Amino acid sequence: MAASEITVKLDRVSKRFGDFTAVRELSLAVRRGRVFGLLGPNGAGKTTTIRMIVNITGPDTGNILLFGRKINAEVQNRIGYLPEERGLYRRMKVADQLRFFAELKNVGGKQVESRIDEWLARLKLSEWKNKRSMELSKGMQQKIQFITTVIHDPDLLILDEPFSGLDPVNLELLKEIVLDLKRAGKTIIFSTHQMEVAEKICDDICLLNRSEKVFEGSLRDIKSSFGRNSVAVRCEGGDGVLDDPALVSKLMRHADEAQALLAAGADAQTLLRRLIDSGAVIGKFEMIEPSLNDIFIAKVTEAA
Amino acid sequence: MRKFLAVVKREYVQRVRAKMFIVSTVLLPLAMSLFGVVPAIILNMEGSRQRVAVVDRTGKMYGQLKQALSSEQVNQQSNSNDNDPRRSTGFGNFVLEEVNADNQSIEQLRANLDQRLRARQLEGYVILPPDFLEHGQAEFFNRNPGDLFSSRLLQSALNRAVREQRLIEAKVDSKTRQQLFRPVELQAVKIGDTGAERDSGGSFALVFGVGITMYLSILMYGQAILGAVIEEKETRIAEILFSSVKPFTLMMGKLVGVSLVALTQLAIWGLAFSAFALYGVGVLAGRGIRASIPTIPFSHYIYFGLFFLLGYFLYATIYALLGSMVTTVQEGGQLAMPVILILVISFYLFLPVSRSPDSSFSFWVSMLPLSAPVAMLVRIVTQTPPFWQIALSLLIGFGTVLLLMWIASRIYRVGMLMYGKRASIPEAWRWARQA
Repeated sequence: MAASEITVKLDRVSKRFGDFTAVRELSLAVRRGRVFGLLGPNGAGKTTTIRMIVNITGPDTGNILLFGRKINAEVQNRIGYLPEERGLYRRMKVADQLRFFAELKNVGGKQVESRIDEWLARLKLSEWKNKRSMELSKGMQQKIQFITTVIHDPDLLILDEPFSGLDPVNLELLKEIVLDLKRAGKTIIFSTHQMEVAEKICDDICLLNRSEKVFEGSLRDIKSSFGRNSVAVRCEGGDGVLDDPALVSKLMRHADEAQALLAAGADAQTLLRRLIDSGAVIGKFEMIEPSLNDIFIAKVTEAA
Repeated sequence: MRKFLAVVKREYVQRVRAKMFIVSTVLLPLAMSLFGVVPAIILNMEGSRQRVAVVDRTGKMYGQLKQALSSEQVNQQSNSNDNDPRRSTGFGNFVLEEVNADNQSIEQLRANLDQRLRARQLEGYVILPPDFLEHGQAEFFNRNPGDLFSSRLLQSALNRAVREQRLIEAKVDSKTRQQLFRPVELQAVKIGDTGAERDSGGSFALVFGVGITMYLSILMYGQAILGAVIEEKETRIAEILFSSVKPFTLMMGKLVGVSLVALTQLAIWGLAFSAFALYGVGVLAGRGIRASIPTIPFSHYIYFGLFFLLGYFLYATIYALLGSMVTTVQEGGQLAMPVILILVISFYLFLPVSRSPDSSFSFWVSMLPLSAPVAMLVRIVTQTPPFWQIALSLLIGFGTVLLLMWIASRIYRVGMLMYGKRASIPEAWRWARQA
C-alpha cells in the first residue's frame, strides 16, 4: 500500500477532556477511493476523532496526516464535512447558502453556479433554489446540508451520521450518491452507530468502543474471518434444541424467525439433524454471514 | 482573506436586505422630521390674527403698548432657535384697536365690546384702569381664556410698556432707557497654545454628538452582534463553519459585517440629517438669521471619526464576547446590562474631564479603553494633549478590541464543542486558555 494511496493517517492519537479520555492511542489509515466506516456505539469517540481530522480540535498527542501532509488551510479546502450537529441559515435562500459555503472553501465564480444547479437537480430540489431554508421540510434541509458538504468538489468526504432521520426514499437516493462519489475516486469517511447501514456501503471499517480501537480492516476480511457460523432458522417446535448451549452459543429471536450463533465445536448439520429429530417443522434453515452487529458485539466482549 | 470577506459579505447582505433594516432606516429620519417640522407648521397655521380692542383709561398707554407688542413679536422671531415651539411667530399676530373711552361709562363700553366679541368682530379686549400705572392691574376679556400664550405675550408687552412709561414719567431720557435694558453677552473663549482662539462650543457639541451617536449605535447594534455570534450556535452551523474557517476569522467577519451595516445606516441618517440641517440653515438665512457652522480644525474631524470607531468597536466586541459565552440571545441580553452601565458612566466622565483636562485622572481615563473614546475627545477639544498620548490611547483601544476578539473566538470554539452549555466566567476563562 503506497503512501500516496492513504488519504488520512492517524498515528497514536489521544485526546482528553479534563479527566475524561475521549480517544486513546488511536492509529488508523483510510485508503483513497474507499468508503471507510468509523463505527461504534454512542460515546465511543467517533465524533472527537472526526473533529481532530478536520482540525476543529487538536490531538493532545499523536499525529494526523491528510493527503500525506499536516492539516493546513489548503488541505482543509479539500475536505467536505457533514457533522452530526448541522443546520442551515434559516432566513437565507438556498442558492445563497450554497454559494456561501463554497466561498468558505475558497471556491467561487461561474463554476459554483453550475454546480449548484447540478446538485439541486440531482437531489430533486431545483424548484426550491430561491426559497429560504425555513420554508423547506426537514428532509429537504438535510439534503441541502449534504450539498453544502460536496459543493466544492472535495477529495475527502467526512459524513457523521448522514442518514439519520431520512425517509427510505431519500436514504436510498443519498446512498447512491455516496457510492457514485466513491466511484469518482473520492475518499469517504462514514461514521455511524447504525451497523446495518454501514454494512451496505463500507469497504473498510474501524470499530471503536470506549475510546479505543477494537478492530480495523476491510469488511470482507472481517466477515470471512468470522466464518459462516450463524444460522437463520424458522421453525415450529424444537425450542429445547435451540436453547442447548452445547449447540447454540447465542440465540436472537426476531418476529418470525431466529438467528442462532453456533457454539464452538458445533456444526450446522448436527443442529439441523437434532431439530428434525425433535419433531420441529422447519420453514427455513440457512447458513448466514454474521452481521456487523454480531461481529461488533463479539469483538467487544472478546476484548473485555 | 477570501473566507473572511465571505463572512463579512454574508452578514452585510443578509442584514441590509432585511425588511427591518429598510424600514428602520427610512422611518427614523421621517420620524425626526415629523417631530421637528410638523409642530412648527401646525403652530404657524394656528397663529391666526388676534383682533384685540384696548380701552386705555390712563390715556397714555396705548401707544406704548402697541410699540412694546411689536418689538416683543420681533424679539420672539429672532429667538426662534431656542427650541421652544410656543415662541414661534404665530402667536404674535395681534391687531390692536384703540377704543375711545371718554364719554362712555365702563358698563356701556363692556356691553358694546361684549357684543362685538359675540359677533366675532373681536377676539378679545383689554381694559386698562386709570390707576393702571400705579397698581399695574388690568383685565383681558376674551373668548378663549385657555389661550395662555396670547395672554402671556400680552402681559409681557404690558410689562414693558408700563416700565417704559414709568421711566418716562421719572424723566429718564430715551438713551438711558435703552442703556438700562441692554442685555449682556457672555462668550466662552478657549486659550490654546497659539493664543486666544474663538470658542470651542462647536467642538463640544460635536463631542457630545459623537458620544450620543456611539451610545445609540451600540444600543441598536449591540444586540445584532450578539445575535450574529449566537446565530450559528442556535442553527447548529458552527461545526460546519469551523471545518472551513478559523473561529477568529469568523468572529472578526461577523463583527465587521454587522458594523458595516451600522455604519451604512448611520451614513444614510447622517446624509438625511445634513440635508435637513442645510435646508434649515437656508430657511433661517431666508428670514435674515445667520446660523454659522462652527469652525473646527480639520484634524479634529479625523479624531472624531477614529474615536467614534474605537468606542463603537470596543463595546461591540464586548457584545461579541458575551455572545460567545451564551447559547441564546435572551441570556446575552441580561448579561449586557452592565455593559450599558459602563457605557453610561464613561459618558458622564465628560464632566470631570472637561473641567480639568490636564489632571492625571483625565490622563488615565483617556487611556483606559472603555472610557477613552469620550474622555480623549473631550481632552482634544479642550486642551489638545501631546500626539503620543492620542496615538497611545488609540493603540491600547484597538489592541483591546483584537485581544477581546481573540478571547471570544477561543471561548466560542470550546463552547461549541460542548453543546448547549452556557459558560460561567471562570469556565469561560478556562476555555479561553485550553482551546
